Amino acid sequence: MTLTRRAALAAGLATPFVARAQGDPIRLGTLTPLTGAGGPYGPSMVKSMQAVAEAVNSAGGVLGRRIQLVGEDSQTNPDAAVRAARKLIDVDKVPSICGTWASAVTTAVAPLCWENRTMLFTVSGADSITQLPHQGYIIRTQPNTRLQNTRVGKFMVAQGVKKLFVLGAQTPFAVPGYQVLHEVLTANGSSTVGHVIYDKDKANFRSEVDQALRTRPDMIFLNGYTPDVTIIMRELFRAGFDGKRMAPEYAINVKLLESLPADVTEGALNYAPSPDLNSPAYKAVSAILGTGTPDTYSCQTYDQMSLAILAIAKAGTVSGTAIHGAVRKVSQGSGEKVTSAVDGLKLLAAGKEINYEGASGPCDFLDSGDIIDCKFRFDIAEKAKFRTLELS
Amino acid sequence: MLEDVLQLIVNGVMAGSVLAVPAIGFTAIYAVLRFPNFAVASHATIGAFAGFVANVYLGLPAPMALCFAFLVAGVFGVASDEVALRPLRNSGPLTAAIASVALTIVLENVIRFTFGNDLRGYDLPVYRDWRMLGLRIGPQQVYNAAVAVIVMAVLFGFLAFTRTGKTMRAVADNPTLAGIKGIDAVKVARLANFIGMGLAGMGGMLIGLDTSIDPLTGFRVILSVFAAAVVGGLGSLPGAVAGSFVVGIGEELSLLVLDPAYRGAVGFVAILLVLSFRPRGLLGERAY
Repeated sequence: MTLTRRAALAAGLATPFVARAQGDPIRLGTLTPLTGAGGPYGPSMVKSMQAVAEAVNSAGGVLGRRIQLVGEDSQTNPDAAVRAARKLIDVDKVPSICGTWASAVTTAVAPLCWENRTMLFTVSGADSITQLPHQGYIIRTQPNTRLQNTRVGKFMVAQGVKKLFVLGAQTPFAVPGYQVLHEVLTANGSSTVGHVIYDKDKANFRSEVDQALRTRPDMIFLNGYTPDVTIIMRELFRAGFDGKRMAPEYAINVKLLESLPADVTEGALNYAPSPDLNSPAYKAVSAILGTGTPDTYSCQTYDQMSLAILAIAKAGTVSGTAIHGAVRKVSQGSGEKVTSAVDGLKLLAAGKEINYEGASGPCDFLDSGDIIDCKFRFDIAEKAKFRTLELS
Repeated sequence: MLEDVLQLIVNGVMAGSVLAVPAIGFTAIYAVLRFPNFAVASHATIGAFAGFVANVYLGLPAPMALCFAFLVAGVFGVASDEVALRPLRNSGPLTAAIASVALTIVLENVIRFTFGNDLRGYDLPVYRDWRMLGLRIGPQQVYNAAVAVIVMAVLFGFLAFTRTGKTMRAVADNPTLAGIKGIDAVKVARLANFIGMGLAGMGGMLIGLDTSIDPLTGFRVILSVFAAAVVGGLGSLPGAVAGSFVVGIGEELSLLVLDPAYRGAVGFVAILLVLSFRPRGLLGERAY
């Protein structure tokens, strides 16, 4: 081997500027549900983040450095997620972690993040998350329970619902969700006629359904998950309930339509926070994932990674504290609107202010870390297929 | 109020009749092998999926699919017992019971690996409930109850009138004496496993007919099945039936005073009460 130090140095100097700039990478963490209940979503969430990093790298990186993603699997399990987060923070020394999905996972890793001054970007929805004493180290792109149920309540009123009954699985958002629906409906001339919180691991819910039907509601809101909501949908059909039925999209989804006869699901309504379908960022995610309808979580992680990179560029240093201080300076305000990290970096380099608007929506955050607003999609099941009723 | 109570009792009878089939399987295995085999949970799931394959892929009607579920779960039961549990049985009932928990987790994941985590439903229509005297009664549940009654009758007939049934009862009553009389305990154990796990599989499919199936179908009901068997008297077949109705009706009637979120506790309260006042269960531990 005849490679001398001088020759190596000469070779290094001869490489273009961009390549040399990528010598010492900035490591950013991802903690996504590659397995477990969130398994259907994790891989595409990572893919959209990798695409952001690759685009930024091929445009010259950030602060003259390449972006390198360090990915871990949360297993949709708080224990596993805490171990993974420890590794990301202690070994890889990442300034930010993007992509925690389940509320239980986010709640478990959040204290590690704020104590180590690591920025946590999450897609979890439970109200309690941003009520933690996180000192600004949590940002979430998913609407919280209050925002979701406020919009759902208004949709119900517009549908002419006068008497709503809520059948909710025992979860952290069951009671808060009901309270918000009650507030919204009573403030708009409708009413709630009762609610039951059930044990979702039971195999039959006849008596719960009887309890709901005794109040003669014109809509029953099923605030649970697919396995229990499937059984209740069947039970409501048997009981001859002819009012409206509504649930979140993660409960009444394509899988549920496939596992029940079409006459049982006919007319069932669902809702989901919707990405901004007209945004160039949404079209970019669509191209990355090779699907016309990318899921909301992959859109959200695309935005999270873009925001983390832009905040680093804005702050001029790489640390959790720097991202913490700069993220709202690039996500909102009167700066020029941008829809990709690469465009944002160019404007920041030119000394301009920017306002990132992403695939998931405007990405404007309150001090609590919650998003201020987002779009919602409402679908109806017709002949075992969904048709969009409203997107607003 | 009276109508509410009657409706709750009807609902409880329906729930109890579905619990009874796997509970008989559980207690039959206990009667012969003298350890609680929690692998009943995964075999209920295996039966539910076998029934699904028979019904949806092979196009068999529900009664044929139920027989298929019985056979497949029974064969799996014998095979998994030979591989995993039989070598450990000499180390004592506790070892075998813990091994059966491990076995159920392994089998559950085999199902998950083969069929995925998704929910599936049988290719059968859902019928509207009948209404009579202000009560709501489901045709599917009446069908399930009828199947449960037929299965029980056949099993009692088998144990009472056939030579093989009598050898099973002999081993359950006194294994040593049965051995002296020349009854092959290993063969009887295999038969008990086949029947017990087959019934678990049938029960799993009955539960699936009423709900939908996924790899956790059996696991969700195993506590209620266990409670039913203990309440009725572990090892007693009529006891398992009585226990199933006590747990089923008890869970429903508890809704008069309890929030539905706590319904799952009723089985445990029933176990606690029975073990405190009648440690051998409602009907004792005689197999038959």
